[in-house]
Amino acid sequence: MASKISVVLRPVKSIVVRFCPFEPNVESTRKFLQCIYHKKIQATNRNCEVTADVRHDGSEPLVDVMFADGDRLIMKGANLTTVEMLTALGSRCNAKDLKEEQKSKKSP
Amino acid sequence: MGRGWLPALQLLRRGSKAVTRHWKAMHFQRQKLLAVTEYVPPRPAVPPHCLPAPRDRPQEEDVMSGYVRLLRRQVEQAFRSSRMVAVCQYNSMPDEDVVTMRHYLRKHNIEVKFVLNEIVRPVLAQSKYRNLLPLFVCRNILLVSPETRAREMLRVLKGIPQVNLLGACIDDTILSRQGVENFAQLPSLEASQGQTVGALALLPSQTSSLLQRGPSLLTALLDEHIRRLRDTGAPGKPPQEQGKGNH
Repeated sequence: MASKISVVLRPVKSIVVRFCPFEPNVESTRKFLQCIYHKKIQATNRNCEVTADVRHDGSEPLVDVMFADGDRLIMKGANLTTVEMLTALGSRCNAKDLKEEQKSKKSP
Repeated sequence: MGRGWLPALQLLRRGSKAVTRHWKAMHFQRQKLLAVTEYVPPRPAVPPHCLPAPRDRPQEEDVMSGYVRLLRRQVEQAFRSSRMVAVCQYNSMPDEDVVTMRHYLRKHNIEVKFVLNEIVRPVLAQSKYRNLLPLFVCRNILLVSPETRAREMLRVLKGIPQVNLLGACIDDTILSRQGVENFAQLPSLEASQGQTVGALALLPSQTSSLLQRGPSLLTALLDEHIRRLRDTGAPGKPPQEQGKGNH
């Protein structure tokens, strides 16, 4: 299911996934990281830097997305499922894409 | 004399044939023969409801096919024979990158093993590596090596963003990612042994000079005294000082 959601990463500058692998609540965050590295999603934006920050300090799993227009999306993956995180990111990316298209249409 | 005697067999041929479309009763002799030669299944010596229920074992045998057993044995073998086992998360990589990574790691005698969680989890749960269990979620790979070359492994993995080091078990010690990085910074065993031996040997090497320090100070003082007396004193005194110096 999670691999069927396609996310267009064009408006995204960088994604940092921070988690502590010895904690029990990191499964959805790790699955999210795995899905992000899928070739279809990576193909939408080759310049997007995806970094995995592996810690061992008992901190909560975190996904930090920096967009090209300065916006920031922080998702705390402890109580979220992978599908929820992907749909949230996907909807925001689509919204930004639409805005970009409208802006480029308005200004010829 | 004219009348022939028809054999009994022929009597059967009158009336309907052997194979009929309607139900036909068997000949009595045939019925008796079949009744006598009926199959009687062998009865077990102990009635089956008296034996302990063997239901559990057949279920496990069904689930654990030979292939699963073989894979488990391979994983156990890998854990037993290697000093360093690193667990990394594997995100999808192009195939040629996988081959390149395998090549570079093989140069440092590190083998890459793709493992399935449902095989590794039971193996770990029964062995002493229970604390590595939470690492095995999503796709993972194991980097096993009989040597502990953490520095080279980290250097190779730094160039591959799709493989994330989660933790390792080096010399029966479970380390996190930070622990592996610290371990890589340590000097090699031979270097640290040499340093320890050098530090321990430093003090005994100073013992002889320490012991000689008192008498050497005394001789220096006496020489200085003689020189001063020679400079300032009468010619009669120096031979006496020389005699005292000889004692």
